[in-house]
Order: sequence, then structure tokens, then C-alpha cells
Amino acid sequence: MATTNSDQLHGTLDMLVLKTLQDGPLHGYAIAVRLERLSRDVLSVEEGSLYPALYRMEARGWLSSKWAVTETGRRARVYTMTRTGRAQLTAETKSWARLTTAVQHVLES
Amino acid sequence: MIWRGLVARLRGLVRRNVVADEIRDEMQFHLAMRASEYEARGLSPDTARRLARRRFGNLAVMRDRGYDVRGGGMLETILQDLRYGVRALSARRAYTVVAVLTLAIAIGASTSLFSIIDAAVLHPLPFPHPEELVSIEVSAMTGTRRSDLSPSMPDVRAWRESASQIVAHVGMEHRAFVGQHVLDTSGEVARVSVRYVSDGALEVYGVTPALGRAITADDLRPGAVPAILLGHAYWQQRFGASPDVVGRTVRLDKAPAVIVGVLPAGFDTKMDVWRPFTSDSAENQQRGSGASVYARLRPGVTPDQAARALTPVAQRVDVGPGDRDVVVTVKSLYDETTAGQGATLTLLVAAVVLILVIACVNVAGLLVARGTARQTELAIRASIGASRMRLVRQLLTEALLLALVGGGVGVITAGLSLHAIVSILPLSLPDSASATLNVRVLAFALALCGVCAVLFGTWPAMRLSRASLTPSLSSAGRHHGSALSRRGGQVLIAIEVALAVVLLAGAGLVVTSLARLLHVDVGFDPHAVVTMEAEPLDPAPGVLRDFYPSLLSRVRQLPGVEAAGAVDMLPLGGTMSMTSVLVDRKPAMVTVTHVLPGFFEALGLRVIEGRPFADADRSTSTSVVVISERAARDLFPSGSALGRDMLVGGRQATPHRVIGVVGNVQNWVGPSRSEPAVYLAYGDPADPVSTLSTPLKIVVRTQSLTPALADGLRRAAESVGPRVFVDRIRPGTDWFDDRIVTEHHRTELIGLLGALGLLLALVGVASVTAYAVARRTREIGVRMTFGARPGQVVRTMMADAVRPVVVGLGAGLIGAFFATRVVASFLFETTVHDPATFAAVIATMIMSAGLAAWLPARRAARVDPVVALRAE
Repeated sequence: MATTNSDQLHGTLDMLVLKTLQDGPLHGYAIAVRLERLSRDVLSVEEGSLYPALYRMEARGWLSSKWAVTETGRRARVYTMTRTGRAQLTAETKSWARLTTAVQHVLES
Repeated sequence: MIWRGLVARLRGLVRRNVVADEIRDEMQFHLAMRASEYEARGLSPDTARRLARRRFGNLAVMRDRGYDVRGGGMLETILQDLRYGVRALSARRAYTVVAVLTLAIAIGASTSLFSIIDAAVLHPLPFPHPEELVSIEVSAMTGTRRSDLSPSMPDVRAWRESASQIVAHVGMEHRAFVGQHVLDTSGEVARVSVRYVSDGALEVYGVTPALGRAITADDLRPGAVPAILLGHAYWQQRFGASPDVVGRTVRLDKAPAVIVGVLPAGFDTKMDVWRPFTSDSAENQQRGSGASVYARLRPGVTPDQAARALTPVAQRVDVGPGDRDVVVTVKSLYDETTAGQGATLTLLVAAVVLILVIACVNVAGLLVARGTARQTELAIRASIGASRMRLVRQLLTEALLLALVGGGVGVITAGLSLHAIVSILPLSLPDSASATLNVRVLAFALALCGVCAVLFGTWPAMRLSRASLTPSLSSAGRHHGSALSRRGGQVLIAIEVALAVVLLAGAGLVVTSLARLLHVDVGFDPHAVVTMEAEPLDPAPGVLRDFYPSLLSRVRQLPGVEAAGAVDMLPLGGTMSMTSVLVDRKPAMVTVTHVLPGFFEALGLRVIEGRPFADADRSTSTSVVVISERAARDLFPSGSALGRDMLVGGRQATPHRVIGVVGNVQNWVGPSRSEPAVYLAYGDPADPVSTLSTPLKIVVRTQSLTPALADGLRRAAESVGPRVFVDRIRPGTDWFDDRIVTEHHRTELIGLLGALGLLLALVGVASVTAYAVARRTREIGVRMTFGARPGQVVRTMMADAVRPVVVGLGAGLIGAFFATRVVASFLFETTVHDPATFAAVIATMIMSAGLAAWLPARRAARVDPVVALRAE
């Protein structure tokens, strides 16, 4: 990932975060853990950078958030994907698929 | 969604701590969860926390980045800029005050002017659907000459009946009748302005009476008691807005009238009373009475369509022989109302734009000069990471803040002074449109603030933000480099002076023109004359005929009165009556004036031949006239006019013998014009154009109008009859001034604008010089150490300021040479390159600019070399 420019990284991270929220609301730490598992530690550079990304996505209206109490009785902020977010995920997934297919073609030709 | 984001951001602005706390809590939760996971794997709590932190990254950075997104963001930076701007502006109060006042003058003047333009041109007809309003005229072809006539009442009725699909309402108003009348409301008598209207006149404008009813066709019947409507303002001021006025009977011009309603607020504000005219009077049955006919077209009908539709109808109207071939002209009322205002408005706009530019140049100079002192501060901000963009934005925000504060002060000033400005406006605003600070005007002012901020803020912002880092910081506080160079300051002075000179030249020409107008010889000396209007309220016939002679005999006994007479139409009084005369079967038009003996002596008219009227002339069997020198020359070109006969009056002309010839009197102030004049003896039973029902004006010759004399005059008038209405005891110069009131007002307004422009330019000269002195304190100190005397130092500083003044003066004169064409149409016996005026402008500019430079330059002499050098 060393050569990935930040725009692409942003876009990818956004897509992955949305992906983790597909099945239901999660708090920040849970998202981080899920990302870790999904991407097999590829993105675990600086976990903290997840939060500015979450705030940005919330500002864009892809996510909504509220404070909730976890099973262990701690206060945590829980994020939910909005309708706009779901549409965004679909769009991003499609364009990602197109890109990877294209790259695949290039590599295989 | 956008809203939600904005709300969140605003929340972030207001409750910054809440947002910061939330972010902190959320991140702490994350760290705690991660740490407990590590602990669960068997690490010690300390190590677990440390590893969790390392994995998280730089907590502070993450928090800040998070805050950037969730916190105020852009909005917060703007707010920060504003806060900073307020602090920066209040820190340098003197600069700020000068800049704010400068902008207040410019923006205030522009706002006032815009509200006038709004009322006069943009929205002159504040009625529903003003585009449907038209004025109608009929044009008769006599041979090849076309004469435009006002339609008659039969025309109006025919249009209403036969063209109702074209015109919704038609109404007639007598503009020519608008005059001064006396309203007698049980005990209280006052002069009122009256408009004579037909039914439908109010409906045309699409408004309804505030109270009561409008004038109907019934009210126009001959013999009907006049049903009058009160003007809204007059009703409030005179009747305390009492709703009981409807139905009250008053006396208008000595005859009973019934108040039937009140006009809507803000409508026809110059009129106190609307009254119906009698539609059957000969005047209204004929075309060409001078009335105005207005109509409201049906929606979608154009004036041209209306003209085509109304013409055949008018051709069928029987208004006597010879008038059949008429063509109807329909003009949009908007065009009619705004016509002829272009020249005045162009002049005012030009003057205000000049002031605006001078002000912006001024403030730009101030900002750059002030910025020099801030270079260190800006450099520090740049060094700790503020981008140039950020600095430019900061400086522009300050400029905008300055413009808004200045604009606010300006708008408030405009609001307070608008009434006064409108009252001296050399332009007749439509009766119904008043200049106010409405939403459009305020929006204009706001936009203007923005434009000004860009105009005066961009250059300083670019200039200051470019300030290089190292020199500013290394010389911290010593101001070696300066943002406003000597040359830059001089260029500013030159520009301001040039613009001010153009403005001054225009204003100077208008002032010169008025001065020449004031010295026009009108044929008599208005300073030596006092006039009074007195009228007995008794309506019985013959009352006036006896009232005035006995009043005059009492007036003549008052101390200080040298002569006294009476006249129906005062010279320069604004009205005159013309009639035709026949001399040896040759017709001519003359002005006809009725006088009582003593009038010529009171006015100071030279008797050239023969004699003036005597009391006995009223009862002799032969009617006699006195004529003016001009009439004598025109009517009796050969030999003396004395003893010759003439027929005076139209159809019922009667013979009159000339008994005297008197000097000419000008009928207008301005381009020399005196019509041939015929004076008749008031009360002559054989008078063909008798006006025995017209009240006379008393003319008194005296040294000065003292309060005692005014009191004496009033008491003399009241002592003659039982109820006498006395009004307008005033010096003859007032009548003179009435005639040139537009010129007066124009001069006041243009003079004011010229003075403001000059003032702003002088402030510019003074502030640039003051800045130059402050900047060169060290140099001055060095010079003085080496023996320069204070006087020499001051001269050096003055020379620096005066040189650009001279350059600006030259440029301004060239500009003025071409620009003064704008005032050409307003000048009386003054060319647009009047040498005396230009000389006065040059002298004024040099002297005032010299003074403006000298005041701050003096400070250079007070520099203490020791202090100046120790500052190093």
C-alpha cells in the first residue's frame, strides 16, 4: 500500500467502513476490529485515522451516529449506515469492480 | 442533509467543548477496548495501554483531524478571522475611525442616491400592475401642424362606454388647477393644495380610499355639493386621523363641501384635498383644457393597441366642428413619469461614483500604511504555518468588516438624512413614490459594501501578504521596509486630487451659475418689497372689491411702509394670465395683471411716460390701462403710446386708453424674457377679464420686514373685515427664490457632493503625509543631527506631498475639461469651461491640499533627533 495516494486510500477506506456497517450498527472499535479481520491487517497502519474518516463520512451523510451503552456497560458511539451510505457503497463497489477487472485484464494480457 | 451538516457545524461552533469532549471520549473508549484486548492476551496493564496507544497513532493529531471535520471548519475560520479582524481594527482606533467615516460618507451618499433612483426610475409608480397605467391625449391635425390636446369629459365617457374591453378605468385630473385653496373647518382656516378630479380617477391607480368612498359620477353633476377626499397625511395631521371626519361639512374656497373619504396612505402625498370638478363646465366639455387623462388598460393590452381602439371612438364624439380628425395617443405612464430625469440623475451618479472611488483609494492607502506596522505580525503568522491564501483571506475579511461597519454607519446616516436630501432634490419625484430605505435599497447597500471591500481591500491584501518573512522578522519592530512606499503614497494622493478636482469643477460651475442667476435684473428690487396675502372669508359678492382699498389705506399708515399697492398676480409669482388685445385691428397676446393704485410705486417700477393709476381711475367712464415698455414698443411701434386706444380681452373686448408706460418686469428668472404686459385697474366695471373673485396680494415697499411690520400688516388685515385669512407675509426675495428653487437645490446638493469629495481627498493627503512623517522619523532625526532646521524638514515633507497634488491637479483639470459637459444643461450664462470657476478650483485645491499636508508635516519639526535615533 506504500504507493497508494491518499485519495484512493480515503475512497477505499470509506468503502471498507461502509462494508463493515452493512450488517448493522457498530461502534468505532468494533469497526476497527472488523476492518482488521476483513482486510487481514493490511489497513492497520494507524487505527486512530479511522475516526476522522468516520466523522467525514457522517458529515457527508453516509453514516449517522448516536451514543449507546455496550454489553459491558460502557458508553460508546455507535455508527449506522444511512440510505445515502448504502447507495454510495453500491456505487463504490461497482466502480471498484470495474477498476479491478480492468487491472486484471491488463495484467493478464 | 446539507442542513443536518450545517446544524452539526453550528453546534460545533457554539459548543466547541462538547464536540471536543465527545471526540476524546470516543477515542478513550477505543484505547480502553484495545488495551483490555491486549490484557486478555496476557500483557501487563501498562504494556497493554502503551501498545494500544502506539497502534492508535498520535492521539493529539487524530483528535485535531477529527475536530477539523466535526468542529467549525471553514465557518470557524471565518469567525476566527472576524474576531481577529475586530481586534485588529479596534487596536488601531484612529485609522479605523478615519476609514469607517470615509466609507460611511461614500456608502451613505450612494445609498441615498440609490433610494432616489429606486423611487424615481425603478419603481416610480407604487401601484398594482403599474405597466397597465397610461396617459391619453388626442392629437388634432390642423393643416400640417399637429397639436396635442387633453381629452374632454365626453371623450372619457365614450371610452368608458365603447371601449371597456380595452380600458378598465379612465379618469381625469386637472393638473392646471392644482393650486392654493382655503379650507375652512368650523373656525380653523388653512391653505390647502387641491386636485380637481373626475370619477374613476382613484380606481385607475388600483387603490381604494382608506376611509369612506371615492368620487362618483354623481358628484360631478352641476349643482352637487362637492364631495371631497382628504389626503392621508393631511387627515392625520389636521384631523388627528379621526374616522368621524367622513360626512362632515366644511367650506372650501368659501363654498360648502362634504368630506366623503380619506385617500390611502402614501398616495398623492403632495395634495391635501381631492375634489370633483363639474363635468358640464365648458372647460371640461372641450378638448385642450390642460387636464390629464389617465387610464388603466386591461391586462395584456399594449398602448399601441389601445390607441388604435380608442381613436375611432374619439372620432365619433361630438365636441363641436373641426375636431373630427383626431388621433388618440396612448403613452405608458412609466415613460411619462421618468422622462426628463436622465440629465440630473446622470450628474448625481457621476458625482457619487467619484466620491466612492476617492473613498476607496483613501481606505486602500490607509490599509496599506497601517499594514506596514503589521508586517511583523503577518510574518509571524506566515512562519507558523498560515498560507498566503489564509493571510489574504484574513486581510480581506478585515476589509469587508470595515466596509460593513462603514456601510452601516452610512446607511443609518442616509436613513436620517434622506428626508432632507429629497427635499432639496432638483428633480420632481413622482407624487406617489417616495424615496425610502426599502429592502431593495438595503440590498444595494450591502452589495456595495462587498464591492467596496474588494475595491479597497484587494490591493492591500496582495501587497501585505507578499511581505517577505526574513527582513520583517530580523528587523522586528523597526519598520525598515514599508508596504506603502513613498512613490505609492504619492500616486494615491495624485489620484485622489485628480478625482476631487473633476468633482469640484462640476460643483463650482453649478455654484457660479447660481450666483449669476441671483444677479439677474428682473426689473425691480425684490429686497425692497414685502408681500402679504389676505382674503376675507365672507363669500358675499363685492366684498373683495371694497376690502382691498380700505386695507391699503390702513397699511400705508404703518410705520416703515413707503408705499403700498395690490396685485392679483405677483411678478415672479409663478403664474400669469394671458389675453389677446387688438390695436388698430392687429391682434397680439399680452400678460394681463390687475392692480390697485400704489402697486407701481410699491414695486418700484419706473414710470416712463404718463402716470400710474389713481384711485379715481376706477370710477371714470373711460377704462384706462398702463402698459409695459415692451408692450408700448410692440403694440405701438410708431410714436408714443400715451392716449392711444386698445381693445383688451377676447370676444367681449372693451376699449381702453393708455395712460402710462412703466418699466418691464421679467416673468421668469433666467434667460431674459419679459412678455408685453398690460395692467388693468382692479374693480373697473368695464373690465373684460374681470377677476373680482380673485384675492389680491398686498405689495409693500419697505426697508426691511421687521416682526413689528409683519404684526402690523396682519392686524391691519384682520381689522378690516370680520373674518380675514392672512397668509404668507414674506419678503419679495422669497418669490424670487421660489422661482429658482430647483437651481438652489441643485446647487446645494452638487455643492455638498463636491465638498464631500474634497474633504475625502484632503483626508487622503493628510493621512498619507502623516504616514510618511511617521515612517521617516529616523531619517528626519539623522537630518536634524546634521543640522537641518525644523522648517527645512517640514518643507521637505510638504514638497513630497505637494508635488503629487500638482500632478493630480493637472490630470484633474484635463479630466474636468471633458467631464463638465455633464452639467452643461444646468448652467445659466456660464460655459462648461468658465475660467473664473476653474481658477477658483485650482486655488481651492492647492490651498486646501497644502493645509492638509502641512498639518501632519508640522510634526516632523517636533522630532527629537536623540529619541529618533535611539529608537534604533
